[in-house]
Amino acid sequence: MVCNWCTKHGAGKKWYMNAKNYSNELADELRAKEYLTEQWTNFEQVYIRKIMGISSIDLGYKLKLPIIGRVLRWQAERMIHSESKNRNPRRADGHFGQVVPLEEAKVILGNLAAEPIIENYCMCRWMQRGIKERCCINFGVLSTVIERLPRFIPENNTARISREEAMERIEEHNRRGYVASVWFQPVPYINAICSCENPECGGLRLRRDFGLHTVYKSEYVMSVDADKCQACGMCVHRCQFGAIRLVPSLGRAIVDPKVCWGCGVCRHSCTHDALGLMPREDVPIARGRY
Amino acid sequence: MLGLPEKIRIEIDYEKCGEKGKIDPRECCRCLRVCDPAVFIMHETVGLEQDPIDPQYWRITPVWNSLCTKCMKCVEVCPEGAIRVW
Repeated sequence: MVCNWCTKHGAGKKWYMNAKNYSNELADELRAKEYLTEQWTNFEQVYIRKIMGISSIDLGYKLKLPIIGRVLRWQAERMIHSESKNRNPRRADGHFGQVVPLEEAKVILGNLAAEPIIENYCMCRWMQRGIKERCCINFGVLSTVIERLPRFIPENNTARISREEAMERIEEHNRRGYVASVWFQPVPYINAICSCENPECGGLRLRRDFGLHTVYKSEYVMSVDADKCQACGMCVHRCQFGAIRLVPSLGRAIVDPKVCWGCGVCRHSCTHDALGLMPREDVPIARGRY
Repeated sequence: MLGLPEKIRIEIDYEKCGEKGKIDPRECCRCLRVCDPAVFIMHETVGLEQDPIDPQYWRITPVWNSLCTKCMKCVEVCPEGAIRVW
């Protein structure tokens, strides 16, 4: 069993390992330049756009309303995953992603990402905290779009980085505790690897707080080697998702596979080599739960 | 009984913060950063009700009200007293 998006856009592989999804030809076919220009020029307004004529301000309240809430949720999911020709870039229709562990993020940046590659300010952190942190790695057509928007790029337009630099940078962000994620924008064109955190990331917010599938869990789940774990608890602090607990009586950490996103970030904190990723498919309770 | 969820109201006085106020939210950002659940967003007003020819206005909008914990830190931290939560 693989995820729906791998079946549709993976050509027998994981969707983000299919080279075609990164190609300039696909970008042209989807008129991605127009879409992305419209989307990114107006990005900070994405959460105040309307869904079915209803403003998405206080979406959390509206989703809890009887009847209206269910219709709203159905429509929001349709928008997020839209592959229709007339999707609305201002609402980011067709924009969603998946968490990936560092190893896969590096494969993407080293082999699959279309040039030019840039590292720009995280738009979520900018709009939600007013913080400009250079940690979003974008590529292909999206790079040339963002380079024209001064609020997202360092002064003197020095956003471009090499493949090697991109791989180094994603490792730095991952070690810092940020979760790597890869994005369709719009589906099936892939052009970004983000380094996300809770609760600033818009994708993680919509998924975690409201259950909308803007971002999927990774293809992996973390597991603890009980023999190696020394119960230091460092991994517990690292987890952005609250999936790890220290169990004093056992003298080890345990991971809840239903909560774990399989980002692999906790591994950077383990000095006893006790943490390892397992394929999600091999963990019965997590299988198919993206 | 429909059992409506609790509605948390957060209001920003744009006469004090934003296009008409003294403060450009991009220079302040205090409410954005003090809020643990990150309830606010900062955005341009172009294409909303402002003149699209002059897009240089920015404002703060509370968008994730349902996640607000009513800690009132934003109300306290705002130098213009522009935020109300109830």
